[in-house]
Amino acid sequence: MTNVWRAGLQRGRIELRHLLRSPKEMSGHLTNVVVALVIAVYVTGDVPGTHVPTAHLVLAGFAAYLLFQIGLVNLPQILVTEREEGTLLRLRATPGGIPAYLVAKSMLVVVMAAGTLALLLAVAALLVDGPLPHGPGGWLTLLWVTTLGLLAVVPLGAAVGAVLPNPREALALIMLPTMALLFTSGTVFPSTSLPVPVQQVAAVFPLKWMAQGLRSALLPDTARTAEAAGSWELPMVALVLTAWAVLGFLLAVPLLRRAARRESGSRLSARHRKAAQSGALPA
Amino acid sequence: MTPKAAKATKDTKATYAEPVVSARDVTMTYGDVDVLQGVDLDIHRGEIFALLGPNGAGKTTTVEILEGFRRRSAGEVSVLGADPERGDDAWRARIGLVLQSWRDHRRWRVAELLTHFATYYPDPRDPAELLALVGLTAQGGRQVERLSGGQRRRLDVALGIVGRPELLFLDEPTTGFDPEARREFHVLVERLAREEGVTVLLTTHDLAEAERLADRIAMLVGGRIRACGTPAELARQAAARAEVRWTADDGTIHRERTADPSQLVWELHRHADGPIAGLEVRRPTLEDTYLHMLHRETDGTDGTGGIDETNGTDGTDDTARAA
Ligand SMILES: Nc1ncnc2c1ncn2[C@@H]1O[C@H](COP(=O)(O)OP(=O)(O)OP(=O)(O)O)[C@@H](O)[C@H]1O
Ligand SMILES: [Mg+2]
Repeated sequence: MTNVWRAGLQRGRIELRHLLRSPKEMSGHLTNVVVALVIAVYVTGDVPGTHVPTAHLVLAGFAAYLLFQIGLVNLPQILVTEREEGTLLRLRATPGGIPAYLVAKSMLVVVMAAGTLALLLAVAALLVDGPLPHGPGGWLTLLWVTTLGLLAVVPLGAAVGAVLPNPREALALIMLPTMALLFTSGTVFPSTSLPVPVQQVAAVFPLKWMAQGLRSALLPDTARTAEAAGSWELPMVALVLTAWAVLGFLLAVPLLRRAARRESGSRLSARHRKAAQSGALPA
Repeated sequence: MTPKAAKATKDTKATYAEPVVSARDVTMTYGDVDVLQGVDLDIHRGEIFALLGPNGAGKTTTVEILEGFRRRSAGEVSVLGADPERGDDAWRARIGLVLQSWRDHRRWRVAELLTHFATYYPDPRDPAELLALVGLTAQGGRQVERLSGGQRRRLDVALGIVGRPELLFLDEPTTGFDPEARREFHVLVERLAREEGVTVLLTTHDLAEAERLADRIAMLVGGRIRACGTPAELARQAAARAEVRWTADDGTIHRERTADPSQLVWELHRHADGPIAGLEVRRPTLEDTYLHMLHRETDGTDGTGGIDETNGTDGTDDTARAA
């Protein structure tokens, strides 16, 4: 067991180093932060009925979206790619390989999420006078909403990554619903301007609640008048995110197991042949 | 004593022990296609065992059933004393494998990857020594995706043996090797088997490789093991099919396959006035045995003399596709 932790943490460290050294992936993450800052600069005015700049509302929502994206876009993509390349299969053939893989991936996701969030908030605070939590209560809310938010999306993302067919189709399949949620969950503009049925559908998914929780952590209490419910609804935030976390775990464990079990050398060869034929991979 | 003779003595001793791999009447069905129709195998400790067969014969399927990656449809399998479908981590640690197609960990550096995989095993090989063993010392700092096909394959072999496995599965390990790398690989596999007592199961399309490396060879055709034995035994089984070649008086070249080459040559001489030009008796090679097997499978009959080898191979492809 100690071996699994040692191998998993070593793996996590190495993967993290690869991520930091990969210009392609780093620029992807940094672009997100830059986009958020640019929007924050161009959005002017105050949240109606308060003295809170609308830019703060947008930045808090964007922070939630970035967490959501790490769990439900980046993670599934990593899983699908590594499944396809045979990483998962090799670890399956290695004693303790799969648990070590999960340890490494958890570490990677937590560091990515914390890093992105810290970078976004710090740079926004420095450059565009962005929001930071008010007092220990605010920091505490930031911590639990982030943690619970990750627990809600990461297992779900792992489940998605276990069932998606291949990296090329996977991206299209994930991005559409993600974008739809981004615009209906009140992350970048208040959802109160949307039709009620749309709001109700968006409220089923975790993004709306992650954004609402982060707003409560980052904005002054007076800003809650701009919420649809007129309050932060923190108990509801905790409830919905916990429900998704439970659902995610229930789905992820058997699906990951199935994905690992179904991997085999012949499937790998068949996929490589197909990919080579479609010219996506150098043969 | 030649290495082959040394092998033989060791084998006879090992035969009394329980086989490392044993399979009885294993079948595998994908949908309504029966890929394996009752495979029986016994592989003993320290033995190098080669599995031959045309494309699609089910070699990879067989190997994956033994590795515990694939659930067989029916039959009994025991690998290192356990059912592969229920193999735990301790069991896994005793097995090494090189799959047919692997492209993982592209971004990792060669030495980094080997060092990492060493941490999973209780008594791993030293990564630096292992790199030297497979001739990748100079590439240690290189990214895996920058390796050539043959170098990548050697890295796969290194990863397969980093945990000092007792049993090593190699699925077409030398595809893409240049002659020198192939030779070095053969030396490496022989060394593992002879010096460390590693049991090796390898699949290959290279008959010379099978003949050179394997203590025993099995031919998988049409979902069954059609022949199994030492290279010499297999060639002898096909002794019925020695080939006699000669040039007739009119200058045409004759080829004839016969069960009794001596008889044919004698008759030729009886009918000839003097020496026979270009007379040649070719003992069947492993390749002849192999192609003969395939041909018999396609025909559903026992092959008789005078079969054109080219036809034999063409027929084979059809079997492979139909299987
Ligand atoms: N997952 C699968 N689902 C359905 N059919 C499969 C699957 N895997 C393999 N097959 C089929 O089973 C047969 C045997 O495949 P296998 O990969 O075992 O052959 P092989 O002997 O290793 O061939 P090669 O020499 O090309 O590596 C083939 O006809 C193949 O198409
Ligand atoms: Mg194969």
